[in-house]
Amino acid sequence: MAAVGHYALLFIGAALINNILLTRFIALCSFFGISNNMHTAIGMSAAVVFVMMMASTTTWIVWKVLLVPLGVGEFLYIPAFILIIAALVQFVEMYLRKSSPVLYRAMGIYLPLITTNCAVLAAATEVAKPGFFKMNMAYGYSLGEGLVYTLGVAVGYGFALIAFTALRERLDIAPVPKALKGNPMSFITAGLLSLAYVGLAGWFGL
Amino acid sequence: MKEFWSVFKHGISIENPLTVLMIGLCATLAVSTQVEGSLAMSVAVIFVLVMSNVLISAFRKFIPVEVRIPIFIVIIASFVTIVDLFLKAFSPDIYAVLGIWIPLIVVNCIILGRAEAFAYHNTVLLSIADGLGMGLGYTLVIVGMAFIREFFGTGQVKVMGATVLSMPSGYQGPNILLLFPGAFIVFGFIIALMRWLNDRSAARKEA
Repeated sequence: MAAVGHYALLFIGAALINNILLTRFIALCSFFGISNNMHTAIGMSAAVVFVMMMASTTTWIVWKVLLVPLGVGEFLYIPAFILIIAALVQFVEMYLRKSSPVLYRAMGIYLPLITTNCAVLAAATEVAKPGFFKMNMAYGYSLGEGLVYTLGVAVGYGFALIAFTALRERLDIAPVPKALKGNPMSFITAGLLSLAYVGLAGWFGL
Repeated sequence: MKEFWSVFKHGISIENPLTVLMIGLCATLAVSTQVEGSLAMSVAVIFVLVMSNVLISAFRKFIPVEVRIPIFIVIIASFVTIVDLFLKAFSPDIYAVLGIWIPLIVVNCIILGRAEAFAYHNTVLLSIADGLGMGLGYTLVIVGMAFIREFFGTGQVKVMGATVLSMPSGYQGPNILLLFPGAFIVFGFIIALMRWLNDRSAARKEA
């Protein structure tokens, strides 16, 4: 029972309390870039969940099996992890194009963009090298914990992105002063949305 | 030389990476709670941006189009690692403030974006101008934002432990400026202001 609670807290902490978009400011480019349209937002969220899980698994293994035993982790982790993610994304894209055209059509165009989506690098680094996010609970993640954590981050990303897209679609038809129209108004809206997350800060000591 | 200046100025105003191109936002919003941290972040970004621009433009004839992105990323990641280790060794205080934002410069779209859009197609000299201009445009916005947030949020601005500017004593700033919603809202108004100024100068040119 305790184990279930532990995983649930890990998930909630990653998804809501330390939401990667609205409280950590990570991956904002995609947050503002693709939130014009609900269809795109859903596609991107799905692609992020998928790639993030794979990336975190790989970086966790590479960190434990390769970088730490060789003693090069501290100064090679940035190039190593970003290369892993870039290569992984490329493989996933090729594989999907061959084997699952439906899935490829749904998320193919988002895959290249994900390479530079900081959320993936951030989550993958946190899982392999805990403490990266300076969260109050610094774990030495086991692979299982790492995966639950990553799923939390990815779901939190998707949730915030889709909620924000819904708000933005409404804003497009709202009367807004000329200088504020478009992006400035989106930022202010995001600020109000993230205000909701301030209320969650510190829950369960996370 | 004239071209050098025009490229340089582009980065600051018309193509300002933050307020116009809207790239590289994550670190900007997160770091801009303190003027000092923002300055350090700007220096790190300018260093990585100029150095990677130089290297990529110098080797642009040898980098095959098909694998250019991985090559760019490796070049950028190397410079980011230099900054990461340098700060960790020589100024742990600043490293503690910037924390994860240093490694995340690798995926900062400004740098990869300039490598792809500018350095890969231009000479070394122009790429330096582009790096400096973009870097300075970045610095102006992030430091300006940090100033607003720190000054009005805490009532004083501190650099290197010395108070540079302070409100009358007894001032109590709105805490929200320092929290994450403050970052979004202040930034929204800054873009609106920049846009209003750009529109006005464009209208004046036409008249």
